[in-house]
Amino acid sequence: MSSESNGPLFGKLIAIKDNISTGPSTPSLATTAASNTLRKHASPFAATVVRLLTENGALIAGKTNCDEFGMGSHSLNSAYGPVKNAYVRGGHALSAGGSSGGSAVAVATRQCWAALGTDTGGSVRLPAAYCGIVGFKPSYGLLSRWGVLDYANSMDTVGILSRDVPDARTLFRILNRFDEEDPTSLPPSVRARLSSADAGEKPDESARNARALRIGVPTDYCLEELSSPVHRAWIRTLNRLQDQGHQLVPVNLPSTKQALSAYYVLAPAEASSNLAKYDGVRYGSRLQDPPSHQEAEADKSGKSVLFSRYRGEGFGDEVKRRILLGAFALSAAAMDNYFIQAQKIRRLVQDDFDRVFASPNPLHTASSSSSSPKPSSAQKPAHEASPPQSTRSKVDLLITPTAPTLPPTIDDVRQQDPLATYTNDAFTVPASLAGLPSISVPVQTAGRPRSGAAADGDGGWGDVGCAGVQVIGQFGDDDIVLRMGEIVEGLR
Amino acid sequence: MTAPSNPTLRLQYRQLYQNSLRYSLLGTCLTHRPALWNQVRKSHTAITADPVPLRKQLKDEARRKKAEKKASPKSSKTLDPRLSRWELTVGLEIHAELNTACKLFSPAATSLNAEPNSHVALFDAAFPGTQPQFQKATLIPALRAALAFGCEVQRKSSWDRKHYFYQDQPNGYQITQYYEPFARGGTLTLTQLDGIETSDCPEVTVGIKQIQLEQDTAKTILQPPSTYLLDFNRVGTPLIEIITLPQIHSPTTASACVRKIQSLLRAVDACVVGMEMGGLRCDVNVSVRERGTTAEGLSEYAGVKGLGTRTEIKNLSSFKAVENAILAERDRQIAVLESGGEIEGETRGWTIGQTETVRLRGKEGEVDYRYMPDPDLGPLIIGQDLVDHLKDTLPMLPDETAERVVNEYGISAKDARTLISLDDGDRLEYTEAVVETVMQRLASLPEKQSFDKVGKVVADWVLHELGGLLTTAGVPWETQTVTPERLADIIVHLQTNQITGNTAKKLLAHYASLQPVAEAAIPSVSKIIDTSGLRLVPLTEGEYIEMAQKVMAENPDMVKAVREKGQKGKIMWFVGQMMRRGEEGRVEAEKARSYVERLLEV
Repeated sequence: MSSESNGPLFGKLIAIKDNISTGPSTPSLATTAASNTLRKHASPFAATVVRLLTENGALIAGKTNCDEFGMGSHSLNSAYGPVKNAYVRGGHALSAGGSSGGSAVAVATRQCWAALGTDTGGSVRLPAAYCGIVGFKPSYGLLSRWGVLDYANSMDTVGILSRDVPDARTLFRILNRFDEEDPTSLPPSVRARLSSADAGEKPDESARNARALRIGVPTDYCLEELSSPVHRAWIRTLNRLQDQGHQLVPVNLPSTKQALSAYYVLAPAEASSNLAKYDGVRYGSRLQDPPSHQEAEADKSGKSVLFSRYRGEGFGDEVKRRILLGAFALSAAAMDNYFIQAQKIRRLVQDDFDRVFASPNPLHTASSSSSSPKPSSAQKPAHEASPPQSTRSKVDLLITPTAPTLPPTIDDVRQQDPLATYTNDAFTVPASLAGLPSISVPVQTAGRPRSGAAADGDGGWGDVGCAGVQVIGQFGDDDIVLRMGEIVEGLR
Repeated sequence: MTAPSNPTLRLQYRQLYQNSLRYSLLGTCLTHRPALWNQVRKSHTAITADPVPLRKQLKDEARRKKAEKKASPKSSKTLDPRLSRWELTVGLEIHAELNTACKLFSPAATSLNAEPNSHVALFDAAFPGTQPQFQKATLIPALRAALAFGCEVQRKSSWDRKHYFYQDQPNGYQITQYYEPFARGGTLTLTQLDGIETSDCPEVTVGIKQIQLEQDTAKTILQPPSTYLLDFNRVGTPLIEIITLPQIHSPTTASACVRKIQSLLRAVDACVVGMEMGGLRCDVNVSVRERGTTAEGLSEYAGVKGLGTRTEIKNLSSFKAVENAILAERDRQIAVLESGGEIEGETRGWTIGQTETVRLRGKEGEVDYRYMPDPDLGPLIIGQDLVDHLKDTLPMLPDETAERVVNEYGISAKDARTLISLDDGDRLEYTEAVVETVMQRLASLPEKQSFDKVGKVVADWVLHELGGLLTTAGVPWETQTVTPERLADIIVHLQTNQITGNTAKKLLAHYASLQPVAEAAIPSVSKIIDTSGLRLVPLTEGEYIEMAQKVMAENPDMVKAVREKGQKGKIMWFVGQMMRRGEEGRVEAEKARSYVERLLEV
């Protein structure tokens, strides 16, 4: 380990999303996941990713607000109140995106050099897109989850929010380590098979880096919800890449349409399980009010409602909504129709991606040796042969919009039906279901400068001048994703 | 680390990770306190408290059973006329704590009586942000258990979460193997010696449906009126759940089955904490059906058809409770059915001392456990090489050992079982050590000695003479001080006619009463014999003749019978008389016979 004083991150301020444990060495920083259930919870240990940061000289700037336990797309579901984007439209604050909205705003407003977030269905990429910064979600299993509070652990991924792609890469290289504390951390044997293992050293990799890339354009992503400024920004980006010599290939990802539904079955199912530990027996303070008459009666009959009352008061509405959804999806009567079906769709989504990517999925092609754990129970090793596809139609990367629209105002979001806000995740969820690396990079809309540095004349921030473009790569192709992110970033 | 914010739980978290636990393939990183007679004996049992010896427990139960039989005529043994109409069917689910150094998913140590909350890893307390780390070494005893029942070990199995809220379960779910258990399809054969119901004799075979690995919960200690203290030491301790097929048809046999499962688990070192210490717990599924009815319209379980509706009785913690709860539930179900009622599929409870099971919850109140594959844990892949290795090194099972001991030593099957079941096999090991020494000593003697009865003689001495002495004195086996060499020494002196049996017993009693002191300070057997003048002096020829003549003079009719009627069989009667009259051990039958024959002129 580098000593702190000359580490590559020496003196750099890094903000940490509040669902990542900061531990005792960073004093008086609670880890609450923006939930009342954990309001006073100070974790006795630091997450592995936080430890790696401080060991490399970084300073923990603080904890950032977020959606409670990462559940939300606008960072409004927090026990501490909503996160506000620095950008404003017509005097109305815009959504910062979620759930890592606090981390995104902290980076966008230069309160820190970079920040860590978590991304389960888009929670790093979406706020990055809304705040005009870079958000990178690495392949599942590369960054340790030890110390990261579970939401849906088969998809929970530590992500990086930064001002530009090189900074994201710097952090990724430091955090990309096997961690034996995390059972889903990819072991060295699997890491050795990934293309990003020795990036630039393998001859075929450097060749791929040098040559023009084949970019897949998923036609299925032209949803009706896709707004025209975002659509235009996406198309313009693609055109410029083509101008640079890269090749555009239309691809089909037919399962995309079911991906969102599958995600909103699987993620709540896992959440209902993961959040069962917050029952008031160990965490948080117990309720101070004396038990109601009804509770006293229930106590007498031996059916104590300690847990239900604590959970009812401790969790916010969205968390409760997802726990109920998930508990239903796992119930004996609904299991086959919801959870099992959603797992099948997840599999189809993975197959879709494997079919279009030129490089094989290193998890699926792995010899079924007993020593190679899979990142999740849902990602099964046995991979049926996909229908033959000519190599000509295979691609190195996919480029899509990150979010269907520019950030809505917080007022608009509040008017929305909770289910309607879920559609914000339509483009980010597929990569989460498949555990693929993806990055959101801001590109200008309508020729306006993208950075918040170009503020309004009166010192305030105007409307966001950019939309997020998402680059998705095959599992383990994190370096290629970062490289394309840098290329997109360089398009002016 | 700091304690969590809720002080009422008094949790103490320690740096458990500093304990460098080493796992060898055979899981020998365990501690054991060997018996005093051999402090260096190698062992692989992890018991830290003294359980009631199985033998004692069996005895106690037999005694209780006897007393109960006298007290109440309604015992399982008495024939209930209703049983000719109704047949009972029972299936068992047994939870047994595995003999492992650490927990199933954390490196925290397993413990029995440690200070509360002193062996709790972050994951065990369900700290936010922690994940399970499967401890490979826990597989060893689990696999041994599976092999002991002849189960097929599954190459791939998986982990599922079983959800329910209770304060003894910090994560809100238990990690178990619901969808894919690691072992399937074994059998267990019970014989008369296992104490099965007479109608089940000579033997009954019970199928094992599956064995799965899972986590134990915390211990809840109620402090009246309304305080619950939680000890998380037990959280995450590895358990196996053994599920039998519903192929048991008597309460006695069910209880014998649980007992045998415990002894098998102990024999292969898979589970060493018995039912009496809470190391083994049992749920039973009970149903009755009318004999001679067809399978139509009846329930089915795991391929066993034609069953009546079953009820489940949870958490039985003794062999006795298993038997009595089944008995009571059988009678209840028959009574309901005979009065035209229907059995409801429900969960029932049993309290020791009660005569009826109590309804806990019906089907509508059943908990939906919302089983979900654990997203943190990949599948469990078990290599055939490991299974083969464990199969090759599996200790002999009690039945096999009993057979060997019967064949080698010529003792009864009952004595063989007793020898094996006592003191975790220690008694058998001791016996074998004595036999070996006696054989060596006899072989080194100039005169040729007979070996065939040595095993039986030694076993009798260990079980009955030494065992009796210890029981009378209330000395537990672990602290007894007679070494195998000492007992062998006494037996050799006896076998070579240097002392009488009586003297041998007195010598043993003397040695058994000694306090543990340095071996050198204890006088040897031959020294005591010589200094106390205990050595047996053989009769002279004159003494033999004198004795024979005396017996003949007192019994002229017998003499006549031999001399005149040629009843040669009566010769041995004279020998017997002489043996009885002579000082113990001094009359040798062969010599006596030759003198009698000479004097009777036959």
